[in-house]
Amino acid sequence: MFRMMQLAVLLVVISLLGACASTQPEREVMERDDLRVDPEISAFLAVTELLEKRIDMPSGGDLLKIQFSVQAYQDTLMEWAVTWFDAEGMVVPGVGEGYRPARVLPNQNRFFTATAPHEKVVSYQLHLRVDREP
Amino acid sequence: MNKWVPVVLCSTLLAACASPTRYIDPAADDGPVTMTMDYRDFEQAADAAVQDMLSSGAVDNPTGERYIMVVSRIVNDTMQRIDTDQLVKKIRVALLRSGKVVTTTAVGLDGPEDAMNEKARELRNSAEFDQSGVQKKGTLKAPDLSLSGKIIQRNHKVKKEQQVEYYFQLSLTDLQNGLAIWENETPIIKRGSDKGVAW
Repeated sequence: MFRMMQLAVLLVVISLLGACASTQPEREVMERDDLRVDPEISAFLAVTELLEKRIDMPSGGDLLKIQFSVQAYQDTLMEWAVTWFDAEGMVVPGVGEGYRPARVLPNQNRFFTATAPHEKVVSYQLHLRVDREP
Repeated sequence: MNKWVPVVLCSTLLAACASPTRYIDPAADDGPVTMTMDYRDFEQAADAAVQDMLSSGAVDNPTGERYIMVVSRIVNDTMQRIDTDQLVKKIRVALLRSGKVVTTTAVGLDGPEDAMNEKARELRNSAEFDQSGVQKKGTLKAPDLSLSGKIIQRNHKVKKEQQVEYYFQLSLTDLQNGLAIWENETPIIKRGSDKGVAW
């Protein structure tokens, strides 16, 4: 009986200490998508395919390469950029951060490719937006 | 004394109307396109070249070691006074980061890029220097690959507009046999007001 009482006191103390410990706030982080298309441009064009493959290198390694195609409903000036990530989700820098401009004519299907800057790249995010040039 | 007051007032008002100086984030630059070559053109040309170079496998050494590249002549055949290093440096940085190519600064068409390679070796046999830290003979690495190229500009008049074409042409030569193992051309075409100046 005494042992039971001891155990109960111990449990109460542990619970009280646990209640005092600071709790980590729940973080709301959105999952990263491979493809992000701005709503402004969705009305003008659609991404019809997004492919990825690893290209074998002579030394035995491989590089991630992506290909995407867009089909426009009307004459559209768009910009696109790819951000590359390693296995830990860290950004792997390429040559620059700028967007590449492209014009897609009505009913035209255009294909674009991009190659990762390093073999450690395992994922990417492709972003399409309206050409905001004034 | 009083005649200067209107001048000072006008200058102040004009200065107030001028657009303020601000920083531009290259990742979100929506600024107008210039007829001349700006940083975005160099970035686009270098990016296209590096991606093509990497995906072709031309800069991937089958032994697993990094290739040693030397920068040869990059000719500026445009009407603008540009430093071709704006293009070359981006390519060099990207290739170095890729882990596949390292550039030598000990060799160059107009002498070594970094003269310290030679200067540091002049310390050899100097009684003033601890010789254990002085570079030994035969330690400099000879290049395997050479990067050369040309930037071309062509101007055309199209009705009341002008069209300016820039061509970034690059070649990578295997110095063992003199063969161009990779070649690329990135055209950047701009069309705009005839009043714009492209030089």
